[in-house]
Amino acid sequence: MRLFAYVFGLALLCCQTAQAQVRSYDQMIAAGELKVAVYKDFAPYSFEEGTTARGVDVELAQALAKALGVRLMLVWAPAGEKLDDDLRDYIWRGSPLHNQQLADLMMRAPYDHDYAQKRNDQGELENGHVVMFGPYQNEQWQVAYDRRRLGKVASVAVFEQHPIGVEVDSVPSFYLTSVFNGMLAAKTHHYPDVPQAFAAMKAGEVDAVMAMRGEIDWQVHEAHDPQLALAQNAYPSMGKQRWEIGMAVHESNRQLAYAVEEALEGLIRDGSVQTIYSHYGLQYEVPEMYQ
Amino acid sequence: MTQPARRQPFALSVLLGAILLSGQAMAAVTDQDILQDPKNPEQIVTNGLGVLGQRYSPLDTLNVDNVKELRPVWAFSFGGEKQRGQQAQPMIKDGVMYLTGSYSRVFAVDARTGKKLWQYDARLPDDIRPCCDVINRGVALYGDLVFFGTLDAKLVALNKDTGKVVWSKKVADHKEGYSISAAPLVINGKLITGVAGGEFGVVGKIEAYDPKNGDLLWSRPTVEGHMGYVYKDGKAVENGISGGEAGKTWPGDLWKTGGAAPWLGGYYDPETNLLLFGTGNPAPWNSHLRPGDNLYSSSRLALNPDDGTIKWHFQTTPHDGWDYDGVNELVSFNYTEGGKEIKAAATADRNGFFYVLDRTNGKFIRGFPFVDKITWATGLDKDGRPIYNDASRPGAPGSEAKGTSVFVAPAFLGAKNWMPMAYNRDTGLFYVPSNEWGMDMWNEGIAYKKGAAFLGAGFTIKPLNEDYIGVLRAIDPKTGKEVWRHKNFAPLWGGVLTTKGNLVFTGTPEGFLQAFNAKTGEKVWEFQTGSGVLGSPVTWEMDGEQYVSVLSGWGGAVPLWGGEVAKRIKDFNQGGMLWTFKLPKELVAKH
Repeated sequence: MRLFAYVFGLALLCCQTAQAQVRSYDQMIAAGELKVAVYKDFAPYSFEEGTTARGVDVELAQALAKALGVRLMLVWAPAGEKLDDDLRDYIWRGSPLHNQQLADLMMRAPYDHDYAQKRNDQGELENGHVVMFGPYQNEQWQVAYDRRRLGKVASVAVFEQHPIGVEVDSVPSFYLTSVFNGMLAAKTHHYPDVPQAFAAMKAGEVDAVMAMRGEIDWQVHEAHDPQLALAQNAYPSMGKQRWEIGMAVHESNRQLAYAVEEALEGLIRDGSVQTIYSHYGLQYEVPEMYQ
Repeated sequence: MTQPARRQPFALSVLLGAILLSGQAMAAVTDQDILQDPKNPEQIVTNGLGVLGQRYSPLDTLNVDNVKELRPVWAFSFGGEKQRGQQAQPMIKDGVMYLTGSYSRVFAVDARTGKKLWQYDARLPDDIRPCCDVINRGVALYGDLVFFGTLDAKLVALNKDTGKVVWSKKVADHKEGYSISAAPLVINGKLITGVAGGEFGVVGKIEAYDPKNGDLLWSRPTVEGHMGYVYKDGKAVENGISGGEAGKTWPGDLWKTGGAAPWLGGYYDPETNLLLFGTGNPAPWNSHLRPGDNLYSSSRLALNPDDGTIKWHFQTTPHDGWDYDGVNELVSFNYTEGGKEIKAAATADRNGFFYVLDRTNGKFIRGFPFVDKITWATGLDKDGRPIYNDASRPGAPGSEAKGTSVFVAPAFLGAKNWMPMAYNRDTGLFYVPSNEWGMDMWNEGIAYKKGAAFLGAGFTIKPLNEDYIGVLRAIDPKTGKEVWRHKNFAPLWGGVLTTKGNLVFTGTPEGFLQAFNAKTGEKVWEFQTGSGVLGSPVTWEMDGEQYVSVLSGWGGAVPLWGGEVAKRIKDFNQGGMLWTFKLPKELVAKH
């Protein structure tokens, strides 16, 4: 029962006791406060260092709130098993486990037309309660490796010999355990998260780590180790190697989306977003929409 | 406490009642009480009406002829806004009923009047991740304590008279996805629980604690390759690796995060001195990523209650690819065949097959389908291993065109889910709450998780019949023959009780508690409780009269899913109520 429950997430019809309230743009401005959901413990995107909120999503949310002339209130969201769960819990329905509290805006939602238009078996839009907009970052899969033990990554085939660390239940895990008929499975080591995979590389347990580029850039930045390098290999048979990251609001709240979009475009064009990313050692390309 | 005579004169029962209320009422639950349950008709001190889990009551005052006179005597509301699935079985000791409600709440209620004696509300953190509704399946009683597990994976011991916490112990980290919903059990002075979680990275464990103080006594991981421990004076002593060594039935290091969570708890057979537990499915969900049998996922395990050593295992779904957890209860029973007494155990698996095992060694005796449609396997071989139908296994992620789906029956919610069946020693039949449904499954190309592209799985559950999903079945474990069936429109999700009075009780999501003639399947009584019945009914005797109690409150896993099944259940109202019925003594003789 359990694994499926997480993989698939809870469907729409669950027993609602108290309906959460979506705030309109005017209510939000009147309250003088923008509630933004960011993932909990998810460096370099959003995390806490002591009592200080850090991360590119946190800093961007601060800049957006400032541009709208309101305070920022962060809603720390433990990630669900799928994004659909997070959108449900923080944008449109709320969860009884955190008093039905909704955010006005959620960071790090994909900007992906196919995903936004996905329909269920009843022909309904699966994420019809949500508007996803405002791409602010490109994301992709990336391998980092330790040059002391691995000369270069000409192709993923080197991981037939060299152990590589991945996060459990992630695309890098699925990819490396299934590609080439499972040829790389024996050398694929699983860790609870990416920082622990990097710790294992430092300890010599694995020679490389595969994860999202943002996480990899951050770990390499923090390691201050010139022997760590970013691989330039291809990923044959990978379904989706690159995607765009944006934001989400409730579908009844497009006015907020328009205001945020306008503020975001200004921050991207004047280089503010690039500066935020550079604070964390992250590569940054201006998303296609603004080029 | 001595066992009172069955039908005492009125004055005597008043006197006994008075004694019970004055002092002797404080009698502690002993190992003997637990092992003999339900011999003393005035108490129920085990989940399952006995450690075997047969859910058979030897009471026959209430029977198939007079059951129409069964009537409600009181109802107790759980109150508050926390009306979610109510799945507990009440316990009764010295005229007090102990039960749990949704959101990790415990109640003690006067069994005569329904008056609340105390209530304990666990303070739950806001980052718990219960898999399938915020349910709880009941308490264990031992000594002067009431034990239960919380959604944030704590074991809590409460004083039975005051409800005050005596000790509370964090069994596992809820932030890693662990939680407890099953009722623990106490065997030979040890408090035993499954340690389970739904998240990836979790490894199932079965553990024993000291009921006096919550000290860990032994720990047994349910995935091959992990070390088990016994604890002596607070020190961990190695007690052998589960399955001998790592990597025999798992590729790479996936055994480290293998799942196999024993989330439904277990039972105990005194004759063989074995704990009998079931385990959940393996991780990750897509079977192509983990070639091999993936032990001990989707299995039944027999453990030595003294140190947690695995004595034998039987895997119902090796290399599971459909989320067929192997957690369903393994019920011990003896039967005679060819003049020989067979020590057997039976289980009705999520995967649609009913298995009869030799419980002395876990060997397969026989197995047969107990639902009408099974597509993932064409049958069982002589050892009980499934003969797979490869066309019913979802493909490897990325290996196929988007949208290719396979139809599989049963659906992942199982031909039978958590709801316990019952075994009647008089009819020799098992009464199995089953569901007829299938699912479409496909690999989903467009999914995201925490800002990352993801390969999820898509699925939708489909009823197999227009007019019913649920089927209560009477099954002969010696022949595999279905003796009778009773259909229900919505999926069945409540436990079953059977009695010497030739009765079978179970509840429906539509809100009825129903009674059937155990031999014929004829419906002989029903009562509308106001919300769906997911709990397990019990029957006991008090002041010379026979009582029946059950929890009412719709929720659980079924309403969490969409698709066609959701349409059948979307109008059911939630609740949170304990109903108690009795057969008034003046009406016993009338029939």
